[in-house]
Amino acid sequence: MDETAKYRMKTYCNIGWKNALLLLGAALCLIATSASAQTSAGQLTITMNVQSSISLIFQNNPAVGTPGFCPLTNSGTNNVGLDLGTASFPGNFHTSPCVNYQHVGGALYEVSSAFDVVVSKANSSSPNYRLAAEISTAPPANVTWLINNVALSNTAFTTLDATDNYSGAVTKTLQVQVKNNVPAQVLLETITFLATAN
Amino acid sequence: MLNKRKSIRNLALAVLLTSASALAQTTASGVINATLVNKNGISLQFDTDASGVTLGASGTAAASVNFGVISAFGPLAGGVTRPVVTAANFTVRTIFDVQVIQGGLTSTSYTLTANLAAAAPTGFAYKVDTVTLTTAAQTIQTTGTYNTDVAHNLDLVVSTAAPGAGGPATGTPITATINFTATAN
Repeated sequence: MDETAKYRMKTYCNIGWKNALLLLGAALCLIATSASAQTSAGQLTITMNVQSSISLIFQNNPAVGTPGFCPLTNSGTNNVGLDLGTASFPGNFHTSPCVNYQHVGGALYEVSSAFDVVVSKANSSSPNYRLAAEISTAPPANVTWLINNVALSNTAFTTLDATDNYSGAVTKTLQVQVKNNVPAQVLLETITFLATAN
Repeated sequence: MLNKRKSIRNLALAVLLTSASALAQTTASGVINATLVNKNGISLQFDTDASGVTLGASGTAAASVNFGVISAFGPLAGGVTRPVVTAANFTVRTIFDVQVIQGGLTSTSYTLTANLAAAAPTGFAYKVDTVTLTTAAQTIQTTGTYNTDVAHNLDLVVSTAAPGAGGPATGTPITATINFTATAN
């Protein structure tokens, strides 16, 4: 091989390497482009306003089923039922084994049953609450509805407790007193309990 | 002889007219060399879910959701539910949709990640589906389906503690931003 041929070969090779590097770079660039994962982003902005709150539920007392502690229907909610059965003045008559029955004085009988009230708080610095109750309609003459010996009214809430503790069960006894001259009838009341944060 | 001359003249006139008419018919032509670069890509948008809160700017990548007033026991705004209440905290939830659209990719699914733009305020934790969010991106979904709304639960877990005792501030609007990223698989 003469010098001219060697020069041509050398030049040819140099151009080849440059081209090869260029091609390699381009290929790497393309590979990198296609290999980079496609992404898309979004932002979700959330707004809320926290408010303190309290709740009230009625629960069966641990002694439920024994005399004086009838079971609630829908226990654990704020809308329960309490069936006191059938009762009469003469003969200490009462059909429900879970109620307490007694004569009060000479002409009244009383049927009662106890249950628990639980008031919980959230996001509140209130130390305790007050509890009140009200009956929904005026009872017939000579019939009185009471909670823990406090007579209830249908015109205003009657305070039962001034400082009850949150989250603790407060046992309340519902009493209905009936005089012996009250005609036979179904005595029905809806009693609203109101807990107010102090 | 005269008739023959007339015939020749008429023929010549006809040829002349015909060639003149042919010369008057002009033509033009052209071509358009069109190109289109079809770029691949994906996009992400938030859509209102029928069961959730109506999003602000629904259908965009920068939407907002307002839970309104929330509490452990009180009423909630429409589209907000309260699936969990414990002594320690309560959870309020809404549902929103994410739609990721792709074009020009061979990818058949996407991975969705999310992170809080800033640390959660005191008394709050934010969850998307089952994932509790932090400021670091976390995977929400590994094989999301393109071009359809995918529903996600957005949960706010709120401490029931009182303000100043580990609970959230009350009676004031609280805002947080969640960043979402969809990546083609």
